Amino acid sequence: MDGTMAPVTRSQAPKISPFLEPGKTTKVGSLAILQLSRDNLQPVYLKAPAGKHDGYAEGAVVNTRYGSFPHSTMIGVPWGSQIRASKVDTGSRGRNNKRKRDKSDDNGREASATVTEEKTEQESTPAEVNDGSTAATKKVVADVSGFIHILPPTPEVWTSSLPHRTQVVYTPDYSYVLHRIRARPGSVLIEAGAGSGSFSHASVRAVYNGYPTEGERKGKVYSFEFHEQRYHKMNKELEEHNLDSLVHLTHRDVYNGGFLIDGKSPEAEAIFLDLPAPWEALHHLSRRNPKNPQDKDWVSPLNPRKSAHICTFSPCIEQVTKTVSALRRLGWVDIDMVEIANRKYHTSRERVGLNLSMDRGVNNSARDVDEALARLTEIETRFREHAAKSKESDDEMDGDDDGLIKRHEKKEQKGGKKRGGDKKVKIDHKPASPESFETPASGMPLWMEGRLITRGEPEIKTHTSYLVFATLPREWTEEDEATAAARHPVVGEQKVIGVVDKAARKQERREQLQKATGNRKARRMERAAELAVTAEGGASGVVP
Amino acid sequence: MHSLIRPNAWVGLKLPSGSTKVMQIIPNTTISLGKYGAFPANLVLGRPYHLTFEVLDKTSEENFSRLRIVPASELHAEAIAEEDEAEGNATPATGSANDAVITATEGEEFSLVDEKGNVVARSGREVIDDSAIQTLTQDEIEELKREGNNAGKDVITKLMLSHTALDQKTTFSLAKYKLLKTKKYIRRFQVVPIDVASFAQWQLEEKDASKIMDLRAEMFGLVGCWGNVHYGGEDSIIDDPHSRTDQGEETCVPIQTDELKGRWLAVDDTCGMLVAAMAERMGVLYPKEGNEEEETTTEQTAEAKQEVKTETPTQNGTAKENGDVEMADAVPETTVPERPKTTATNKKQKVRPRGSDFAIPFSQTNTLTIIHSTSQPNLSLLNYWNFDITAPNHPPHPLLNHLLNLTWLQLLKPELDTSYSTPPPTASAEELASWKPSRRGNFHRKRRRFARTRYIVDSTRAGNFSGLVCASSMDPISILKHTLPLLSGGAPVAIYSPSIEPLAALADCFSVPRRTAWTSGNVPETVGKSLEELERWEGNEQFPLNPTLLQGVSIHTSRARRWQVLPMRTHPLMTERGGADGYVFTAWRAKPAEGRVEARGKFKKIQPSSNKKASKAEEESTPVETPAAVEEDDAATAVKRKRADTLPPLDTEGASTPENAATDDVASPTKKRKVDGEVEV
Ligand SMILES: C[S@@+](CC[C@H](N)C(=O)[O-])C[C@H]1O[C@@H](n2cnc3c(N)ncnc32)[C@H](O)[C@@H]1O
Repeated sequence: MDGTMAPVTRSQAPKISPFLEPGKTTKVGSLAILQLSRDNLQPVYLKAPAGKHDGYAEGAVVNTRYGSFPHSTMIGVPWGSQIRASKVDTGSRGRNNKRKRDKSDDNGREASATVTEEKTEQESTPAEVNDGSTAATKKVVADVSGFIHILPPTPEVWTSSLPHRTQVVYTPDYSYVLHRIRARPGSVLIEAGAGSGSFSHASVRAVYNGYPTEGERKGKVYSFEFHEQRYHKMNKELEEHNLDSLVHLTHRDVYNGGFLIDGKSPEAEAIFLDLPAPWEALHHLSRRNPKNPQDKDWVSPLNPRKSAHICTFSPCIEQVTKTVSALRRLGWVDIDMVEIANRKYHTSRERVGLNLSMDRGVNNSARDVDEALARLTEIETRFREHAAKSKESDDEMDGDDDGLIKRHEKKEQKGGKKRGGDKKVKIDHKPASPESFETPASGMPLWMEGRLITRGEPEIKTHTSYLVFATLPREWTEEDEATAAARHPVVGEQKVIGVVDKAARKQERREQLQKATGNRKARRMERAAELAVTAEGGASGVVP
Repeated sequence: MHSLIRPNAWVGLKLPSGSTKVMQIIPNTTISLGKYGAFPANLVLGRPYHLTFEVLDKTSEENFSRLRIVPASELHAEAIAEEDEAEGNATPATGSANDAVITATEGEEFSLVDEKGNVVARSGREVIDDSAIQTLTQDEIEELKREGNNAGKDVITKLMLSHTALDQKTTFSLAKYKLLKTKKYIRRFQVVPIDVASFAQWQLEEKDASKIMDLRAEMFGLVGCWGNVHYGGEDSIIDDPHSRTDQGEETCVPIQTDELKGRWLAVDDTCGMLVAAMAERMGVLYPKEGNEEEETTTEQTAEAKQEVKTETPTQNGTAKENGDVEMADAVPETTVPERPKTTATNKKQKVRPRGSDFAIPFSQTNTLTIIHSTSQPNLSLLNYWNFDITAPNHPPHPLLNHLLNLTWLQLLKPELDTSYSTPPPTASAEELASWKPSRRGNFHRKRRRFARTRYIVDSTRAGNFSGLVCASSMDPISILKHTLPLLSGGAPVAIYSPSIEPLAALADCFSVPRRTAWTSGNVPETVGKSLEELERWEGNEQFPLNPTLLQGVSIHTSRARRWQVLPMRTHPLMTERGGADGYVFTAWRAKPAEGRVEARGKFKKIQPSSNKKASKAEEESTPVETPAAVEEDDAATAVKRKRADTLPPLDTEGASTPENAATDDVASPTKKRKVDGEVEV
């Protein structure tokens, strides 16, 4: 339904970001994430196959070590599709770009993450443009091997595939931060600095509750970045991702410039500061001018009707100390500092045993004492047989029994490693023939053999940054209090709730039961359950 | 989420002891915090969250305590004073820091209380309870003074030493006593809103962690993000078919699969905690916010109450009771009930006029579908957000139009489910008119139930869900067997488990050897089956799941370590909650290509490591090499090698790998070598 193959310019691109609503199938112009291997993700903007591209007859092509993938094979397919590599006609391109391709292969992820974009920029040679749609794009021929998967963009895959300009905040941290600073649909969030936009993409998903129409307040991210190139790069990305109306990026030094937009308040209730000196920006994030609370002209960037939740993200403890001190003095409460340790686990089959199939994953030593014992016994028996035979047939033997045993054992060990599949221990070593692996002696297919184990990834991130959280309640003036007091006047006789003494509780329960009689059965049962719970809770629920 | 405390809202009261009390703020009652004092509930109504209040002494004119808002400067006075001290003095002695603390809060009272909260001593006063005093040796006092890593203890020491009455007795066993800096301090509390983060923390740390399967804040973050749970688009309600009462199921609205968007599938054995977390991320947990100040007022006035009461008699069951605040809330006293009753917080809103029997109340977008193993889902915790799935006439709540639920039977064998398979009753208008009201009610109820069940089951079975999130005690393999086909391509799967074992077993279903065997056509059962048939693979012993239906399988865990940040005393907390760490399985739904797909890698494998127990000579004789994953390639290679002898060689380039999708990033061969070296050691 949307596999339109016609070239689409940006203005015609789908309005809703593929990050927020990717649709069922891939589309021209959309960002897609190619998954080359589990942890190797590569972003690509899908281009319409309009004639030759960069020397390829098939149009734009992504080259990976798993083969070549013309964009045309990746457009209009369901997300998540496995894409086969194609035999591409490099034509004139082959020689020209060979060096570049090699380079990208060698440099691995970083290089390949940008290579597609480089090509995009090169593409507009006049010849190609003139070809336009008339130039028949060469029909694609599937290659014999190689494939990738094409994933819809999400902040998670974007974070691990985006072109890094700075350190970025990864999923374990941002997922926790967004939960704690209550970034939800409809929230307005301030972020500084934008950096590479990793956190921005995660936060816009959290606050998104529809694209705003004129004058409408919707969930939105106000992001600030003072590094000019990063600012421009990110603005371009936001546009390409159709996020530009949801993330408002400002080129500014927030220490001096603060967080207002054209002098007006963004009315934020969630804040994330990933800056070298967050405490220098904090005074802007107050309810009133901290230096002069009477200052009527001072505008707060915070939502005056809501509590504000902040998180600052700093790698060093000294930064934390300064930030926390500033937060205390600026009236923030519930100050809390944590760091997040994330670990990934791999699962595998641990295969130990003398009789397991032979391959590199297997530890061909005894699985247990019984197996060791059986093997030793067997060796012993064989040795005796052998010795007896030798005695009979060969009198030249030097009679050094010990030496003979040792020699045998050595051979055994060698053989044991090489040959797992045989029940009988063979003394003569022959190169293992593949057939012997066909059915492991355990009778189990390979993937079910051995014990399932988990182990941590080989390298773990032990420290990312310290996360400081705090809350700033909304301002509450005496007038506010007077209004609330008038709306909720204290009236006379009152029932006590909360911590009440035993007698009162019993009396209430009795009344409760009386009221309950005559109600429907279901209701009665529900109440009984409730009472049981209350009773149980009553014992433990005393305030310490 | 409201920023002002509304009548009947569930809130958390954070007490000086560090514990939280979760309760409903019922208008015109007195809230008792036990020894922390009691005050009229109306004094916090309409006030903002996160403020700290102090319960004042009763004045002679009034028979209740008023509240005072404690400014943040007062809350932080001690830390700020210490900081200033530390700044002025590079290496402050503990003693001098204490002097500063006490002067900073001059004019306030210090109280020493025992474990039961009885006041034992007050600064500047006589010892109240002599019997509580225990003697302490001089050495112990000295040690306490030296320790100095706990503000409370420092001040206790200070207090005791400065106290004349205590001086004589030497002093107390400090471990037994707690310092409450002032008498006033004791009676402070902060009101926090019940949102997912605060409620879950309370449930985990103070209430009953097992009820929410030990879900920690970190896990809500991971599951929510990896499950890509977010606002799924503007509501789109299907037009009412306006079926007449004599029309049957043929007039039910058909499922418009293309209109179904932004839908998440969930399996929740956490009493609704997971659903609440997902609903919060989708924007359907809290009622829409209007002008809060005004809303809370109208409700408070006598007329408003009256209005509510006149409305309720038409409703039955829970809703009826909820109208009557007095009665509905008679139970939750003293402690928090396990199942708080729902109370319409938004009574001003009228219940939407009900459509015809076959009208579908659910949005086609931004929905949450839960599959449950009992005939009714257990979502009792949602009552804290005033949602009760069992209430027949529910007051307005966003979940009503966005939460769909069905049983596993309805999903898998709908024909065996009575409410799905029994055709709706029909009757002419005249017939209906002749019936008693109760019979008529029953008639409509049956028809409505039929239409809704039909819609939920059919739309769920139509699949195309945007994601799957689980926190269930059921075997995740069995869940995925039936839910994988329902996921749209590229949709994420995020499964929480308190322990790693079930997730490891699940990940093993997608191991490289399994996938390789599957795709190489070595599984006789798969031969001749179409992709669609394989998507609905029933599973067998060797292949519990179709191993090609997920990509990027990972298991992770996160742990937040909490720190104390104080001048000269910044360090991680000494103890934290133990128990289940919690793990998350994540992956994306893949759409495998038709036919056999060979993987490949255009590079030479680096030397295998010694832990693989293969001699170098043999490695060299192996004709093809593969990119390596530290764990997984071993088995993968084995399969491939095995296959190499049974199948004609497919990869003429001689550079094939059984499955590139799970191999390591080969861009860092040096790193890999290092890792292997480490294993060897
Ligand atoms: C570590 S990066 C942020 C990374 C980002 N959180 C992400 O996830 O991609 C810090 C950024 O803050 C910017 N920055 C530093 N000081 C700033 C200031 N005073 N105003 C605005 N931006 C600033 C830097 O240019 C840098 O790009």
